[in-house]
Amino acid sequence: MLNPLRSEQEAFRFLIYVIVVVAVLLALVFIVRALV
Amino acid sequence: MESASIAAGHAAHDDHHGPPEANRSSRVEPQFLGMLLFIISEIMLFGAFFTAYFFIRVVAGDEWFPFDGLELPVGIAGVNTAILISSSFTMHWALEGARNENRRALCLGLLTTALLGLTFLTIQINEYVHLGFAISENAQTTIFYSLTGLHGAHVFVGLTLLTFATIRAFRGHFTAKEHRGVEVPGIYWHFVDVMWIFVYSTLYLL
Repeated sequence: MLNPLRSEQEAFRFLIYVIVVVAVLLALVFIVRALV
Repeated sequence: MESASIAAGHAAHDDHHGPPEANRSSRVEPQFLGMLLFIISEIMLFGAFFTAYFFIRVVAGDEWFPFDGLELPVGIAGVNTAILISSSFTMHWALEGARNENRRALCLGLLTTALLGLTFLTIQINEYVHLGFAISENAQTTIFYSLTGLHGAHVFVGLTLLTFATIRAFRGHFTAKEHRGVEVPGIYWHFVDVMWIFVYSTLYLL
């Protein structure tokens, strides 16, 4: 299981997940804003 | 016999002074546990600042930048974000160097990470100088300076840790087996990076 506080490697992987999730959320917000 | 065991008891007692030894978990090393508890407290600290931000935007429904001629340099901060994210990659490269006994990768990785972090902080300070509004202007500017300033302070702490790790790397203190001094600051550095992604996307983009 991913525990970003246990090792640098998992912290780095967590960072990548955060980047991807935030990018997807931002894209969705901008698309919704453009449509409304 | 009895006197011998009493003497042994006394000897054991003489060996140990002060309070009883602290309990140590067999599952997590003290250095990692310390960083874990520290980061959890940091998340709560940032959470308090984000609460103020969301209060303004969601509960009070106030306007956010750009308004009343006050603007945030989204592009420059975006470049700064890229600089900070790339520093996480060089940090990971440094640790892989330590794991594979590649001292050149370790030293160069740490040095590059520190320099990228320093660049981020310099651009952030330069941004403050040229923003053209003060922290006391209104609630929005207070939140902006508080959140970015809190994060900047964390980058400074991370840079201090990285400086120690870099000096130690150049002195050859780390091996493939023993490199906690790189791994623990690395976790902190990635945490600071994750926090910036939230700070940048909420303050500048949303």
